[in-house]
Amino acid sequence: MIACQYCSHQNREGVMFCEECGQSLHAVAERTITVSPTKRFDQSVADLAAKVTWGTARFGHDAFIIIHIRDATEPIILKPSEKLVVGRADNTSSTKPDLDLTPFGALEKGVSRIHAAVCRSEDTLTLVDMGSANGTHLNGQRLVPDQPRILRDGDEIRLGKLVAHVYFK
Amino acid sequence: MSFNIDPYLTLGIGRDASTEEIKSAYRRIARRLHPDVNHDSLGATSQFQDVTLAYELLLDPIRRREYDSQYNRRGNESNFFFNLRVTPSKRSIMPLKEPQVVYLLAEILPDPRARDQDQTQRESRLNLTLVLDHSNSMNGTRLDKVKVAAHQIIEQLNEHDILSVIAFNDRAEVIIAATPVNNKQSLKAKISMMSASGGTEIFNGLSKGIEQNRRFLGPKLVNHVVLLTDGNTFGDQDKCLDLAREAAQQGISISAMGLGQEWNDEFLDEIASITGGTSSYINTANAVVQFLNDHVRNLSNAFAERVRMSIATDPDVKIESAFKLAPHPQPLTTNESHIQLGSLQATRLISVLLQFQLPANMPIGFRSVARLVAYGDILSNQQQQFQALSDISLEITDQPSSEEPPVAILDALGKLTLYRMQERAQEALATGDIQEATRRLENLATRLLAIGEESLAHEARAEALRVAHTSNLSDQGRKTLKYQTRFLLLGSSEDKAE
Repeated sequence: MIACQYCSHQNREGVMFCEECGQSLHAVAERTITVSPTKRFDQSVADLAAKVTWGTARFGHDAFIIIHIRDATEPIILKPSEKLVVGRADNTSSTKPDLDLTPFGALEKGVSRIHAAVCRSEDTLTLVDMGSANGTHLNGQRLVPDQPRILRDGDEIRLGKLVAHVYFK
Repeated sequence: MSFNIDPYLTLGIGRDASTEEIKSAYRRIARRLHPDVNHDSLGATSQFQDVTLAYELLLDPIRRREYDSQYNRRGNESNFFFNLRVTPSKRSIMPLKEPQVVYLLAEILPDPRARDQDQTQRESRLNLTLVLDHSNSMNGTRLDKVKVAAHQIIEQLNEHDILSVIAFNDRAEVIIAATPVNNKQSLKAKISMMSASGGTEIFNGLSKGIEQNRRFLGPKLVNHVVLLTDGNTFGDQDKCLDLAREAAQQGISISAMGLGQEWNDEFLDEIASITGGTSSYINTANAVVQFLNDHVRNLSNAFAERVRMSIATDPDVKIESAFKLAPHPQPLTTNESHIQLGSLQATRLISVLLQFQLPANMPIGFRSVARLVAYGDILSNQQQQFQALSDISLEITDQPSSEEPPVAILDALGKLTLYRMQERAQEALATGDIQEATRRLENLATRLLAIGEESLAHEARAEALRVAHTSNLSDQGRKTLKYQTRFLLLGSSEDKAE
């Protein structure tokens, strides 16, 4: 339970605005709701898309992709080519992924040999599951194999149980 | 038999999945959706039926081959699609000894290619029915304005559109039987003959309206009924709601517009929510013309119709509320197997904010929360039925996350909370708790003032005083608070007057 600091009403964990008095229970929230009139909703879909998620989907020509794998000390910094296959290298299979996650405990965390791919199209990146055994999740949504989804700055991706955050630079 | 949902998508597997993969995908889903474990969720029951159908199809080699060849023949290149994107308020959650709340923002995005498509190319044609109140209380300016609005709507339509008009008081009369809009002058003349008399009985008008609409009911059409009333109907509300449910099943949406103060807002809200329409409060007769025109213009810009969403929560997760934020703010009912969302326009997204309660004592690890499926008929596709699926899972971890919730969710929730506050004030009033209602209205006024909604804050303050003195809200104040706080979710109020 979280007690509201204005009216001391007990709210359940996860509630963001006091159910009794409407005050924000989230310290930084105040700033975001008092902004000047919100953008109009009939703007282009691309505009909206940028507004509603963690970050931008635009991936410039010279941009780098930074992958923070949880519990890893160093981030992976890459300049993605047209298609970057992510998976786990294995002596028994002939195909090798472009990005091998074996050093990050890929085997124990259920990453497939060919798990997912990051594809580049014009100025966006997409993530596509390549039919992995334990699934690819983007911000908690499980991806349907072979159906690409747009990647955004700050997105959380999960391959099996391996969690990584993606940033653009 | 033609199978009009994608069995691969339904099971969340690739097109080259082996029998083993199909079986394990089915088992994984069945564990969550099977009626034996998940009896409370209507969404789960209906999704489970789809999953089972898909499973049976894919396990039958002959039917699977048939489906695959059909799929390949159709090709995918020219077909439009929509996306379902879901953003949770938190991506990782602390395990707690008490239940906690999580929000999901579900957005249905039209195909980006549809935006560039010329509107005349788009095959959205209207099958529009106007159900107009011409009871005594409409006499004078109101009825005149309604006629002007109807005339303008006729101007907007063309010979590909179907129009029917019903006038009702305590009886209902078909003014224009469903017909293509060819002879605009004669149609207009028929509208001009309307005169005001009698009382208000919505059921007759609505049932005649739906009957007319049904005559041209078609998959290529936007089948829509607009109900405009300024009065309260007595005794036939339940019949109206049954009618609305039936209409929703057949793919007809109903928008309800209340003019003036005397109509029943809860009733009109419900009719609209059941069918995926919108309900609105039109303050003055002058606003009617603009309002109806905008409404019809938006309808004719549809990209997909009969958009609906089914939500299957995991057995231990509860859905608490659903609210449509865009294109038009509207509270939604969660006790039907599908939430009707109306039409998806080519240039706007549909977004819905969902509130879930997660159970206490969740074990650490990854867990699924809910499975959302959006269905809709894409008007310019050959094979119109389309679905998009989103399976949501979150991480339960005792490593606290410093992540801030997404701005879009915070922003919407901040405003939705205001709407909920007036709702709760009215609930308190309904149970006779005057003190509670007064306090809630005062709280609402404080919050409204804090976000710079001065005139609305004054309204809330005035109503708080009124409740304290007379134990009741004024009809006007009640509707103003309800529809204006709802309207805040649009961001800026001039959006309507475009």
